[in-house]
Amino acid sequence: MSLPAPAECLAVIPARDEVATVGAVVCGIRAALGCAVLVVDDASTDGTASAAQLAGATVLRLPIGQGAWGASQAGIRFAERNGYRWVITVDADGQHDPASLPLLLARQAQESANVVIGTCVERLSLPKRIAWQYLRMLTGLGLRDFTSGLRLYDASAMRILATPEASLLDFQDVGVLMLLAGKGLKISETPVTMRARIEGHSRVFASWAMVARYMFNTTILCISRLDIGSRNNAAKARGT
Amino acid sequence: MLDAQITAAILGVCLAGAIFYLVRRDHLHGPYAAWWLMVAAATLILGIFPAVVTWLGLLTGIKYAPVLPIIVALSLILLRLLKLDIDRSRQERQIRRLTQKLAILDHELQSLRAGEAKPAQAQSTPETWED
Repeated sequence: MSLPAPAECLAVIPARDEVATVGAVVCGIRAALGCAVLVVDDASTDGTASAAQLAGATVLRLPIGQGAWGASQAGIRFAERNGYRWVITVDADGQHDPASLPLLLARQAQESANVVIGTCVERLSLPKRIAWQYLRMLTGLGLRDFTSGLRLYDASAMRILATPEASLLDFQDVGVLMLLAGKGLKISETPVTMRARIEGHSRVFASWAMVARYMFNTTILCISRLDIGSRNNAAKARGT
Repeated sequence: MLDAQITAAILGVCLAGAIFYLVRRDHLHGPYAAWWLMVAAATLILGIFPAVVTWLGLLTGIKYAPVLPIIVALSLILLRLLKLDIDRSRQERQIRRLTQKLAILDHELQSLRAGEAKPAQAQSTPETWED
């Protein structure tokens, strides 16, 4: 299995008000991978779009804010329409080290997985650890990091994620993974190093109240998506 | 002092009149208009002929008949609210997809205007593109 060619790759960066970091992220990806970079501007008000354009990215401007997943989905639909075969999603806040991008591609070539998640295990705080253990139990997905925004999707994953079925999800996390696992796709993880966020903080894990709300919504989402098929496929994805 | 029946009739006629007016003015469209016209008709009938309630109470075996329209109205309101949220979710999905498509097409239009080639030439741009 050969490595995915950079020319067929599109790096998608969903960004809302990330003017301080987005330029450096775009340059970093271009230097590390040499692939095209698309910044999806999620109705920013701070000039994120022009900063991204200046750094050499293609920019999509969403006129109405959609949240991180809506912006990523816009990027995936753009990639599909323009004939790209791979999408790599990267957070705009600079916490993902561009140097770790080739690791995702290498892992893909190694395991021919449909989705590769870049996981940083040591970053996990106590509430996250508890949350993850619970989610592993609930979803039957044997993954270590459910919310990492650093992911590689292949063409079949892109096709599924571009459908209306995926449009009502709010985060690029459990819902996305369950949808893909339910369709029988293979999900794999690779450890990567992460940098502390230069600016801003996790939108999900900002406070205990937020965590509680997130976990409640995610539980409902999981219950609505659970079926025997997805559990079996999840087991397959885990390789057990 | 007004007779209870007259009070009920006035309320029913006012509500029905308001709904008819809104439907006539095109403020309520299609299936909503049909639903609300039915509500208007029901309040009109119950307002003018309150004996219907007593009769329905006898028919259903409910001893305290006046509670019957309240129960029915509450259930219908709950159903209506549920339907409203279902519609809202569907519309949210459509708005998100249209927004994404708008952004993508806007970008293509800008590149075409600027006379550049497309960033990556589509190998297989689908003829029809779903919303």
